[in-house]
Amino acid sequence: MSLPADFLFNQANLQDYVDCPRRFQLRHLLQLAWPAVAAEPADEYEAQVQDGEAFHRLVHQHVLGIIAAETPILPEAGPLADWWRAYLASPPADLPAMLLPEVTLSAPLAGYRLIAKYDLIAIEPDRRAIIVDWKTSARRPRPGWLSERMQTRVYRYLLVRAGTDLFPGLQPAQVEMIYWFANYPDQPERLPYDATQFEADGRLLTELVVEIAGRNEPIFPLTDDVTRCRFCTYRSLCGRGITAGDLDEADDQAAVPEEAAPDWTAGFDFEQIGEIVF
Amino acid sequence: MSLPPLTESQKACLALPLDRPIFLEGPAGTGKTTLAAARLLRWLEAGVPARAILVLTPQRTLAAAYTAVLRHPTAPPGGEVTVATLGGLAQRMIELFWPQVAEPAGFAAPTRPPISLTLETAQYYMARVVRPLLEEGYFDTIRVDRNRLYSQILDNLNKAAVIGFPYTEIAARLKAAWVGEAAQARVYDEAQECAARFREYCLAHNLLDFSLQYEVFARHLWPLPACRQYLIGRYTHLIADNIEEDTPVAHDLLAEWLPHCRAALLICDQNGGYRRFLGADPESAYRLRDLCREHVIFTASLIATPAMRALGRAMARALGHRGELTGHARPTSAATPADAPTGPRAALDYRAHRFYPEMLDWVADEIGRLVHEEGTPPAEIVVLAPYLTDALRFALATRLAARNVPVRSHRPSRALREEPATQCLLTIAALCHPAWGIQPTKYDVAHALMLAIDDLDLVRARLLAEIAYRVRDGRPTLLPFVDLEPAMQERITFLLGGRYEGLRTWVAARVEETRQPRPHRPDRPGSRRPASMPPTASLDHFFSRLFGELLSQPGYGFHRHHDAGEITANLIESVRKFRQIMPAPTAGDTFDLGREYVQMVQDGVVAAQYVRRWQRQPQDAVLLAPAYTFLMSNRPVSHQFWLDVGGMGWWERLYQPLTHPYVLSRRWAGGAWTDADEYTARQDALTALVLGLLRRCRTAIHLGLSELGESGNEQRGPLLQAVQRVLREA
Repeated sequence: MSLPADFLFNQANLQDYVDCPRRFQLRHLLQLAWPAVAAEPADEYEAQVQDGEAFHRLVHQHVLGIIAAETPILPEAGPLADWWRAYLASPPADLPAMLLPEVTLSAPLAGYRLIAKYDLIAIEPDRRAIIVDWKTSARRPRPGWLSERMQTRVYRYLLVRAGTDLFPGLQPAQVEMIYWFANYPDQPERLPYDATQFEADGRLLTELVVEIAGRNEPIFPLTDDVTRCRFCTYRSLCGRGITAGDLDEADDQAAVPEEAAPDWTAGFDFEQIGEIVF
Repeated sequence: MSLPPLTESQKACLALPLDRPIFLEGPAGTGKTTLAAARLLRWLEAGVPARAILVLTPQRTLAAAYTAVLRHPTAPPGGEVTVATLGGLAQRMIELFWPQVAEPAGFAAPTRPPISLTLETAQYYMARVVRPLLEEGYFDTIRVDRNRLYSQILDNLNKAAVIGFPYTEIAARLKAAWVGEAAQARVYDEAQECAARFREYCLAHNLLDFSLQYEVFARHLWPLPACRQYLIGRYTHLIADNIEEDTPVAHDLLAEWLPHCRAALLICDQNGGYRRFLGADPESAYRLRDLCREHVIFTASLIATPAMRALGRAMARALGHRGELTGHARPTSAATPADAPTGPRAALDYRAHRFYPEMLDWVADEIGRLVHEEGTPPAEIVVLAPYLTDALRFALATRLAARNVPVRSHRPSRALREEPATQCLLTIAALCHPAWGIQPTKYDVAHALMLAIDDLDLVRARLLAEIAYRVRDGRPTLLPFVDLEPAMQERITFLLGGRYEGLRTWVAARVEETRQPRPHRPDRPGSRRPASMPPTASLDHFFSRLFGELLSQPGYGFHRHHDAGEITANLIESVRKFRQIMPAPTAGDTFDLGREYVQMVQDGVVAAQYVRRWQRQPQDAVLLAPAYTFLMSNRPVSHQFWLDVGGMGWWERLYQPLTHPYVLSRRWAGGAWTDADEYTARQDALTALVLGLLRRCRTAIHLGLSELGESGNEQRGPLLQAVQRVLREA
């Protein structure tokens, strides 16, 4: 199956391709449902994902002024309450005042479209634009690891390419990305940007898209690093394992997906039932 | 999708000042949406930030043209245009502004997050509310399937929300219009009480069904200054397409929004209103015309040939259409179909048959000829019927497959709970949870084994179930393969026996786990579960494990059958949503969610919907669909095949004893709903449907005619009579 003309590239599917072309093919190209457990304990993994989503929503509401710091909608204890206290006590330092939460940007790239959804973009007009990404994972990655991730490359590159609505004439050197860790609020990772890196990211992303679009083999290559397969739901299809990896064993190399699997049944579907289909 | 060359009318409309509010109307197929997409791109090119643009459609399928343009590589870089339905927008706003709106909207626990109900989970709660009342004799005078009863009560709540009247007035409105036996009035009162109890339950437990989402948004969020300012401040440029298919409350909102927009384009299809049974109100949409400075009408069809347009006029006459018929003017651009002086017969192709299967053979032959001899792309052909039964879908799909024609359908042929893969998963779940007290039959176990174990045929599966499956002290058990007689082991084969043993030991391990839950894990950063709380294995996680650790492994049945993965994914999602709406268990609680779910599956309350396709569907394939579903895809084709032309299904409304789409509308002025009203409504609906189909057809309508219908009855419905009149007069 060739790449559909309306395919959208994003940091997650590009990272999948870099990690394992076969996973990209199964998950994003063939969109093959393979609902094995991603990580064990499954209920705890699900709770982590849900708490992460709830934290993102809280910060979104706070930035928009919908809730105050002393909001009654928080649970009294648990990670969400801890993260919230950490966010209030040690937010990313030195952010410009103009805060734009939940911004989506996209731009053409090698005959397709590249898209990214930002947690927060903070702008000081004519001076700088800061990308903030909230991380609620249990572990803090080792320094330097994040700079190679597709998220870092795509987010900074795309802000320069497509952020002119927000910041006319934005230059790479005016961009910085901050990963803020809810469990390690005093250890954010700050990643500045420059024209050289912008050029390199543009080349890399273009090459990746061209490479993916040009593939026509029935089975894309499997990753050589089988440790990644522990947290991949397709492990049984590829004959690379039976049980899911343990959350405690996840490391930088074999990262647990931060997002839940695509929710293919979300929302109302007109075709679902004849009687009422509101 | 790149846009086609524009006609003169489209160019003129595009050239209007960008900040001008425009009301654009015209029949389907006159290029309104293409113009709107061009104007959207023009806004972007002029520097309007994408995030300031909102495209509203009544249904997601109607937004396809916009998403295609916005996803195209030639679209400029920038932010994201929001493409949404009002229901979707309401859901997002409730999630965002919940802390400010929960208490005024009457929710009992405003500090806790809301829980959105799907259609399935709403039906589950409605069933919980209604079931005790059924035991008391409620609804005993009507004969309708319980699930349809639940869904019609939900339907009434939804109608109240989208039309904008208090849900407490449902029964009064229905009773005022009723002219039949007095006993029906009691049924309406009972439906009212069920609706009220359901609403109270939702408010008490932070549950949001569709009706409550819509009401909370319209009555509480939209008037809330913070929310209104958020929406009005952000979305300064608005496109609302197919407003004739949207609801009066949506129109109210647009009427209040328009004065705040810097630019707007409202698009209305003439002779539309196909979603009337969902609260669509085309007449209400026209209120918005007076709020727009420009009023533009497109009249020339860019789709239909002269013969097709002539057929439209003739069919409208034959159906007694009373109003002015638009959309039959000649096109004004070279990009439009070539004109030729032809009558309506030139657009019709038909063959009369005695029996239904003969008609289906003819349809399949004709489609095969169009595809293989005339080179028509399969995607340019649709097969339409008022209702597409599973039997009809199967009969057609089989015939077309035999002629090497690719086919796609609007949905798979079976409900989720009827899928063999679902049955297999539920049977193994019962084996793994003896505490449920569910003992699968040997028949169920044999079929589960056959599906679960690769290469195990039904004969061996039955043999295995007969010998190795036991119920001891009420607990279902699988015996080890080594315990079987050697001769029997040889009959099963050792290869399959090994796979059976793998399944049996996996099941035994899960049974053991249910007796002894997994050990506690110490707390760690980000862990929600305190060390004092034991881990639980929920049913959806159980199914994920069953799939990943066993059934999808090499040697087992789901490894090579990817459809089974899709079905499992749907089942898991159904269980997960079911679990997420259930209250958290308390100490000493004997309620077992897994057992409750399986019980609800058996009652047909959950897993009754159709498997949703996650995989991409083949696009170049003949589409089999109900006629209204095709209309809501808003896509023209070259050839339409209409089946059951003599059937009453084209004319009759669905039997809905608890609700009424016309009485529960804003236009209904009160008074009785008479037979004359019903006749007029049906005739108008059929006319609109026929014109809608003809306006979405380029070349030919092929009529599948058979004297006897699918169930063997003689067919002489109004659509057939209208066709006969057209043929006589042509």
